[in-house]
Amino acid sequence: MWSLSKITDIIHSWLTETFNPTWTLIIEMVIVGVGVIGLFAVLGLILVIMERKVSAYMQIRLGPNRVGPKGMMQSMADTVKLLVKEGMTPDGADKFLFNFAPFIAMIVAMLLMAPIAFAKDFQIWDINIGVLYITAISSLNVIAILMAGWSSNNKYSLLGAMRSGAQIVSYELSAGLAILVIVVLTGSLQISDIVAAQANGWWIFKGWLPAWIAFLIFMIAVTAETNRAPFDLSEAESELTGGFHTEYSGMKFALFFLAEYINVFIVCGIGATLFLGGWMPFHIGNWEGFNHVMDYIPSSIWFFGKTFFLIFVIMWFRWTFPRLRIDQLLNLEWKYLLPIGMVNILLVTVIAILKWHF
Amino acid sequence: MFLKEYISDVAGALKSLFIGMKRTGYYFTHHKEIITEQYPDNRATLVLPERFRGEVVMTHNENNEHRCTGCTACELACPNGTIKIVTKFDINAEGKKKKAVDKFVYHLELCTMCNLCIQACPTDAIKMAQTFEHSVYDRSLLTKVLNKPDSKLQEGVE
Amino acid sequence: MKGETIIFYMLAAMTLVSALLAVSSRQLFRSAVYLLFSLIGIAGIYFWLHYEFVAAVQIVVYAGGIAVLIIFSIFLTQKSGEELPKQNSTRLMFSALAALAGFGLTILQVFNYTFIGTKDAAVDATVMAIGTRMLGMGKEGFALPFEVVSMLLLAAMIGCIVIAMRSKPETT
Repeated sequence: MWSLSKITDIIHSWLTETFNPTWTLIIEMVIVGVGVIGLFAVLGLILVIMERKVSAYMQIRLGPNRVGPKGMMQSMADTVKLLVKEGMTPDGADKFLFNFAPFIAMIVAMLLMAPIAFAKDFQIWDINIGVLYITAISSLNVIAILMAGWSSNNKYSLLGAMRSGAQIVSYELSAGLAILVIVVLTGSLQISDIVAAQANGWWIFKGWLPAWIAFLIFMIAVTAETNRAPFDLSEAESELTGGFHTEYSGMKFALFFLAEYINVFIVCGIGATLFLGGWMPFHIGNWEGFNHVMDYIPSSIWFFGKTFFLIFVIMWFRWTFPRLRIDQLLNLEWKYLLPIGMVNILLVTVIAILKWHF
Repeated sequence: MFLKEYISDVAGALKSLFIGMKRTGYYFTHHKEIITEQYPDNRATLVLPERFRGEVVMTHNENNEHRCTGCTACELACPNGTIKIVTKFDINAEGKKKKAVDKFVYHLELCTMCNLCIQACPTDAIKMAQTFEHSVYDRSLLTKVLNKPDSKLQEGVE
Repeated sequence: MKGETIIFYMLAAMTLVSALLAVSSRQLFRSAVYLLFSLIGIAGIYFWLHYEFVAAVQIVVYAGGIAVLIIFSIFLTQKSGEELPKQNSTRLMFSALAALAGFGLTILQVFNYTFIGTKDAAVDATVMAIGTRMLGMGKEGFALPFEVVSMLLLAAMIGCIVIAMRSKPETT
């Protein structure tokens, strides 16, 4: 049976036979880089059209329906428009930082792709600090936003950037605590270990109540961390005209836009890996026959299915809930999510020590 | 007790969020009733709501008679000077002079569709039409005379 | 020259150049951003050494925490858009002398110390090993320092809360 890991094995063995190790490494790095950029482009196109269609369906509208069959080519047309649009730099802006910020947002998103397991044995870098790496790198995201907001020399941008900074820094804590719950249950930070530990059932089923609470906290916290409604204070259109990317246009805006969607994909991928088993098919304990049937579905489909389900849930949040005020936002984090998360991690530690989970 | 309040707070919040998501989820799965009007394509079948106000028109019956007495109640009622009534004196059957409307001038470009003129009219001579494609190339085209040429006051309207 | 040597020099150059820019830039916000790049360069060197845990902690604590804190305090206190006034030359000279002295001392130490090559395997720096050492109570364990540090952090946290806590207005 063909699988992604088999294809990579074939490419790797062919390259090692043909070239010396250094060139093999360089060529593989180039292939991975091109693959990641290609994935970015495809994901951007898919997620934008998905967002618009989901929002339309939730608001009893039709959504884009002119370009292509059922409007499916709309995001393609938008991309072309953004590509040919002039990228303006305001006069009073700090030119270097202004033009540099979108690339930082993009680089951070690319770095975050590294430890995600897309399918069985198909992972760019199975680093042994896995989820810690993700939390570490994603904390750099705020730098890009602060840079963009400050260098635009626009008060709305600056306000948006400040809000976003406060928001990301505080919600990182709850996301970290929710991730720690699964780390405690698994006993490892490595993504491959976490996935392997879910071979006889996903953590959300095996971890009892703490896993559910952690899942809820994680979903809320990552929605806030990616600056999406109902936590989109940093770009609140009605108050700040667009927040930190008010002054951006053309491709530089598109990079921010794309980075936001890629970040959504990444956090949902991490959520799927931690709580829903990543590429692991749906297994129930010792039901050999049932598990065997589930194994016939390719692992990449499992991963992308779960990830897109979580993305759909986050979009569902966005098109249902009204935006929070800044004090409500901070209250939610410091008075509710953080204490609950701490009690939860205590609970899960007890469960893990007594081995009550399956 | 504090803890009990806290927990019921969280539970209540989760419940209300869930109710909201249930509503949008219902809309998402029941994708039948669409409120989108695909406007230029469905111009023939477009149905506007009853209360939609497009512009002020004067009703005329089949004998080219209107109900406007030229009382200028609408002109006085209009908050931004949209209506200007030019009156003339007709000589009626008994040889008496009688005030009548000569030109009912209506500036569409000034109108805010507030409906005050229609409410002010004692004889129900004007009403709101549902036409809305008002764009023209010259502003002067928006100044309209509402009473048709050679139209008369309907018999019995005072 | 091997590939890893090239990567090392690139990381070192990035760290040093951005550190230089951080002290020489006339705009406070830019200095903070250059400092951030310098810190990320150091994290890169840790990654290059395969000390992933230390690298990730470096990014979390310095780049994600302290740099953001610095940027925030710049936003809230300084007129961050304006250029700083030029330093007078005596001060500049003395700080350059201090920096040179520190540099010279370090170089001297590096050249005088005899590094002994070893054939042993590299230190096992996986999270598992770090965790067992950190909480180990045996010969190579760090349980006591670990607990002392955590007590210190707890005290700091409580102190923060006490400082930030507003005393209730007295109801009369």
